[in-house]
Amino acid sequence: MNWNIANKNFYRQGLRAFLNVLVTALSIIALIFMLSLLNGFQAQATRNLVLTDVGGGHYRAPGFDILTPTEWEDITMPVPDVLGNLLAKDKAEVLVQQGQLYPNRRLFPVQLRGIAMDQSLLSLPLAGLKSFEDKPGETIPAVVGVKMARKAHLKKGDTVVLKWRDKGGAVDARDILIVDVGDIINPRIDDGVVWLRLDHLRSMTDRDGEVSWVAVREYLGPVQGFEFHGIEILMSDLLALLRQDRINSKILWGILMVLVCTSVFNTQILNIFKRQKEIGTLMALGMEPKRIVSIFTLEGVLGALWALVLAVVLGVPFFIWFHGVGFDVTHLSEASFPIRETIYPDYQPREILVSVSIVLALSIASAWVPVRKVTRLDPTLALRGRAIT
Amino acid sequence: MFGIKNKPVAGIFLSFFFCFVGSGIAEEIPAQKLLERVDENLWANTKFVTGRLIIDNGRKVRTLTQDSWMEGTTRSYSHYKSPAREKGTKMLKIGGKLWMYTPRTDRKILIAGHLLRQSMLGSDLSYEDMMEDHKLSYSYSATFSTQSSEDFAGARILNLVARDKKTTYQTRKAWIDPEKQIVLKEERFAKSGKLLKRILFEDYEKIGTRLFPRTMVFRDMLKENTKTTYKFDVIEFDIEIPAKYFSQSILKR
Repeated sequence: MNWNIANKNFYRQGLRAFLNVLVTALSIIALIFMLSLLNGFQAQATRNLVLTDVGGGHYRAPGFDILTPTEWEDITMPVPDVLGNLLAKDKAEVLVQQGQLYPNRRLFPVQLRGIAMDQSLLSLPLAGLKSFEDKPGETIPAVVGVKMARKAHLKKGDTVVLKWRDKGGAVDARDILIVDVGDIINPRIDDGVVWLRLDHLRSMTDRDGEVSWVAVREYLGPVQGFEFHGIEILMSDLLALLRQDRINSKILWGILMVLVCTSVFNTQILNIFKRQKEIGTLMALGMEPKRIVSIFTLEGVLGALWALVLAVVLGVPFFIWFHGVGFDVTHLSEASFPIRETIYPDYQPREILVSVSIVLALSIASAWVPVRKVTRLDPTLALRGRAIT
Repeated sequence: MFGIKNKPVAGIFLSFFFCFVGSGIAEEIPAQKLLERVDENLWANTKFVTGRLIIDNGRKVRTLTQDSWMEGTTRSYSHYKSPAREKGTKMLKIGGKLWMYTPRTDRKILIAGHLLRQSMLGSDLSYEDMMEDHKLSYSYSATFSTQSSEDFAGARILNLVARDKKTTYQTRKAWIDPEKQIVLKEERFAKSGKLLKRILFEDYEKIGTRLFPRTMVFRDMLKENTKTTYKFDVIEFDIEIPAKYFSQSILKR
């Protein structure tokens, strides 16, 4: 009975009801889109970092900090047996040193990163280095990323002077040959980085068997003399950024919800005002105020349900289309985000369900709050249209 | 000139030639001794210098004026007087440490470790180059080069090889005037033998009992079109330097 009355009343509202439904539906779509895009960003950034740099974590020489280049040369250690004996697919030995490159005879400070050639834990475009002998010759082969090549005006086949220090502090310099310009999907290991064979860098700096860290597939327990840095620590800056992004998205989501609730609330107020004679008649005929409240609230529920249907009708094709084309974020790599390609939204059913439920609940609550005053209306005044002025 | 039939004559001539040349080398001062004498000429117990550091980075030339007080090889204090940007900057070297004070920040900072390898005030010198606190004869073993000097007639070239693996430049070459026992030019090399820095010592002038270069030109050979010229306008040797000049308390406004 209530449902039928509510249904008829809802459709009689016409354009007003449709606009409410549309606003709520668009808000649901925007909310899902925003959350899924953030999920996609996080998933891709994490994948890129894990694939190219982090692996399952780093066993680092104690005190090593990639953000303190002046100390890189002081913090290297021989690889302990427990890490040295791992299979090449389960570890990547890395040595990081400071260097100075002189492209076009101009100084360009760089990070020299030597990585074992037999490792397969990290995915890096360093195939060009594999064919060289394990002892560096007169010219040292090196690979740089696309971004580094652009900044330093380098291209494949170029020869450029590199200066560095050995373990004792003696200065050395030699020509390096850019054997390849690699497409590195993580700008953090592209910008300002010159990739060398680990054996070459060790030989150049008199650091036989030493590393700055060993990336491993998974945590192996404590290793004497080394500190383990898990994915959360190595990605802490990115995770903090994403946390902040989620807070920002919640603010945006809150604004959207205020708009939706205001729209529904406003419509309900108008409904009661315009339909007070109808309310008065129903009350005069003996209908309990509580029932009148439920009829009006049911109208709000109907609006929310139709909003959900419209969100599915408009949103699903949009999400399918967007999942195909993605979102171009190449500009982010300039700001050293570990994302260099198109990002695709990552739809999480549970998250969508929770978000949609919250939107529907708020929408229904906004429909219920203004009609509560119906219980306090005087039927005689309502019949004359003077109960609410 | 000498045919086959003149072989004995040629042999005698060559014997005489090598005999004379050999006796010449025998009388010559040994390379290491020569280097020590060069050091003795350059280094004094105390020294005061007013000079200009002219930094040419290929696009712009900046001139810094400074007063420096030096005691032996381990202690020195410099006060920059111009340009406005550098005015009031002070540097104090004591042993292996270098402190820098800038009035803009009103702070003194210790330049240590790898910071010492950075370019000093944008010049072709690193802080480390500036801090060099060992005489060459102490840090390097010298031998005469067989290479002949094309730039400086009569100069002898010394090959200097570092005695310690930790010495920044493992090899150097120094062009020495053996008569005046002064250095005319120096080249510093990487371990691989690549030339890194070239220094010219010019405008030698007799100051007291010493011959001292009024101008030193530093070039970073890995960079293009850059040079740093150090011109000494006033030089005084063996002066009394107040103890406060080598105290960190001087590093303030």
